[in-house]
Amino acid sequence: MELRVTESSENELSIEIVGEDHTFMNVLKGALLEHEDVTAATYDMNPEQSGGQTEPILTIKTDGVDPLDALEDAAGDVREKAGAFRDAFEAAKAA
Amino acid sequence: MTEAYDVEFVERGDRNIRFLVRGVTPAFANGIRRAMVADVPTMAIDEVRFIENSSVMFDEQLALRLGLVPLTTPPEGEFAEDDVVTLSIDVEGPGTAYSGDLVTSDDLVRPADENVPIIKLKDGQRLEAEADAVLDRGKDHAKHQGGVAVGYRHLQRVTVGEDISEFEEQEAQIIRGVIEDDGELVLTSEFDHDLSERYPGKEVHVEDVPGAFVFHVETDGSFDATDLVTRAVDTIDSRAADLEEAVQL
Repeated sequence: MELRVTESSENELSIEIVGEDHTFMNVLKGALLEHEDVTAATYDMNPEQSGGQTEPILTIKTDGVDPLDALEDAAGDVREKAGAFRDAFEAAKAA
Repeated sequence: MTEAYDVEFVERGDRNIRFLVRGVTPAFANGIRRAMVADVPTMAIDEVRFIENSSVMFDEQLALRLGLVPLTTPPEGEFAEDDVVTLSIDVEGPGTAYSGDLVTSDDLVRPADENVPIIKLKDGQRLEAEADAVLDRGKDHAKHQGGVAVGYRHLQRVTVGEDISEFEEQEAQIIRGVIEDDGELVLTSEFDHDLSERYPGKEVHVEDVPGAFVFHVETDGSFDATDLVTRAVDTIDSRAADLEEAVQL
């Protein structure tokens, strides 16, 4: 997965996540918003016609933590959710 | 953050399942749904070499029809992205060429249904071709879509209220999906989707249960519906893992 930082400061980050769409971005955004120190998280999907910018751009604002760390945490949270879901599903399947 | 999901099956078949998940956010539920539709790879014919085609259809038309035949997809890890499985077909008219006439070179990949008509052949017409099946995602072409009818609804909680007044005529109250009645899960098809059938002469109150979604998953036969769910979750997991790794660099 290729990442391109478009804007970065102490508590704000805009990053392009190459090759993703709503499927993953919305899950990721949801996970970011559950994070205590994240004050804002959003993503922008552009249509093909928007001047060549077609990759989703994720923007994170934080309070007191590095937004990149928050992103890493959120990715971990998504993995945890996926794992928990799979376990719960397998358990129900076996029952 | 520890997630406590609770999964319960409502209906269970090979290609068709319905299950309830509790404790899930709308974003995550939709992520799984979208992943099932567009991100789980399935096998489908992608290239066809015609040896003889004297049927009434052009090669291209037949190639499209062959591509749309659902093929069984082997378990994860058995095949890589660019592995190819060759299938061949040789049918001579009069008669109809069916998906069941496709002969596979690898038994893991064969037509999921035997009775998909490919083309009707008249006397003397013949179709002989070789086809290569590849693994790809629904995002790239609908023929690689494993989930054909995938969706979810909120679980609906029904509470029974007062009797309706004696002189009032009860109106039909149509709902669809699964209801929760005193902790019991009931499919709405059991009472013709009409609450007035199940609770005659009663006032009923319906509300969505927050965080509880009833998924309905139907596959084209590429794999079991339960497989589709776990594979979809795996695609989300692997992307999150990719991201985690990319961020650390």
